[in-house]
Amino acid sequence: MAYEKILLARDSGLATITLNAPDRLNAVSRKMIAEIKQCWEELAADASVRAVLLTGAGRGFCAGADLADPDRAASATADSGAALEQFFNPVIRAMRSIPKPVVSAVNGVAAGVGMSFALASDIAIAGKSASFLQAFARIGLLPDGGSTWFLPRLVGDQRARALAMLAPQISAEQARQWGLIWDVVDDAALMTTATEIARKLADGPTLALARIKEALNQSTGNDLSQQLDVERDSQRVLGRSDDFKEGVAAFLAKRKADFKGK
Amino acid sequence: MEETPVLAAVQSGVLTLTLNRPQRLNAMSQPLIAALGEQIARAASDSAIRAVLLTGTGRGFCAGADLAGSGTGAIGADGKPDLGAVMESHYNPLIRSIRALPKPVIGAINGVAAGGGANLALACDIVLAARSARFDQAFVRISLMPDLGGTWFLPHTVGDARARALAMLGTSVPAEEAARMGMVWQVIDDADLMAEATNLARKMAAGPTLSYAAIKQAMNRAGTNTLDQQLDLERDSQRALGKSADFKEGVAAFLAKRAADFKGR
Repeated sequence: MAYEKILLARDSGLATITLNAPDRLNAVSRKMIAEIKQCWEELAADASVRAVLLTGAGRGFCAGADLADPDRAASATADSGAALEQFFNPVIRAMRSIPKPVVSAVNGVAAGVGMSFALASDIAIAGKSASFLQAFARIGLLPDGGSTWFLPRLVGDQRARALAMLAPQISAEQARQWGLIWDVVDDAALMTTATEIARKLADGPTLALARIKEALNQSTGNDLSQQLDVERDSQRVLGRSDDFKEGVAAFLAKRKADFKGK
Repeated sequence: MEETPVLAAVQSGVLTLTLNRPQRLNAMSQPLIAALGEQIARAASDSAIRAVLLTGTGRGFCAGADLAGSGTGAIGADGKPDLGAVMESHYNPLIRSIRALPKPVIGAINGVAAGGGANLALACDIVLAARSARFDQAFVRISLMPDLGGTWFLPHTVGDARARALAMLGTSVPAEEAARMGMVWQVIDDADLMAEATNLARKMAAGPTLSYAAIKQAMNRAGTNTLDQQLDLERDSQRALGKSADFKEGVAAFLAKRAADFKGR
């Protein structure tokens, strides 16, 4: 389908979503979040897509919910929960459950739910000038888009509380040091690096990557004994895949594996 | 003379609680724990209090249970100490009440925080530590395990590998190292600690109190919720906050590019 507030490009197994409201630092309007949701549904159903890259147009990654959005119900009786239930939460659930790796190229400020999009990715890479901000408490809200779950798992309980309550803006380098994101590269190299990583994943053993994602999703609620069972069951399935056969053959022949995602 | 084990003072919306047994490095006696508990209950019921600041008198923050005094509680029916009894009656209710308090708790860790004192510090929402402070999971040295939530706080703040080492080796961790591990939000020069901590506590006391309460509750539940459950919790809390006067003020201030004037409602 055609999108207005985002761009979607496909290139042999790699889908790239670009948030595209650069004059608003890609702040998320009602229209944009509806398109983002639609887009994740489209990509989940498209078997030819084996990895997804998410980035923003212009100098921001995503400034969070657009508080100046004319479509935003701003009355005292407005229901902040409804937008989460209808749009934002389905998007976060889709990012985590889509059986394909999701890479974020954080090209500028990632604030509010924009930061949640970065944290919900499997692999987040930021440009040096990018920054991260749990802006919610500044307007009397709590972090959403899953951030109250992501933060304590990524940076521990203490830092999570401080980031959520004090809402400091932190640099990409600080975010990397604390383990909020995977890596930081020079701004000029960001899209090349992120695309290389996403490309490698799109050409990778898709079923294994999906099982890794699923297992790590489950690990935080499982005890070790349950997780050993998860690994056993997923490894059994992967052991029957074409890509495993190819991977072993390539390893033994000391050549590069040619994975098909099957 | 009767000692006053906890000093309490309210100013600018901040209830400052000072552990006050400096001759014992503020080791926790039963009266001290009881007094702290009473003050946390007061903070919960008094709407004029919008943040709590916890610190210690003298050169220590808190040396843990007072092993030479009443800190370890009663003797059980079998003639052996029953440490579980005092945990149940005193320590655990205190830790639970700090975590459940719908207002931010700031710890200003002015010196050594050992044993239960270290975990009392970790129970705070925001921990500022003096450069000379140390965090010491001393329990194993007397053949105990970390308590006051230590076995929960440690893996949830520094990760499983470090948690096991800290608990088993009883290593004393200097403030800088604690900050690097994520046990502490910030390290402050000793001379500036109380001024910085008081500023922060006052700033938070003038902040969006309902938002802080919702964040605390969400973080408390994040440890056991699935992401799916947590997204539902965020939806419900955001719905409630979206109807608050402070949210209205926050958005108006943001759009007008001015500082928000939050009332905690």
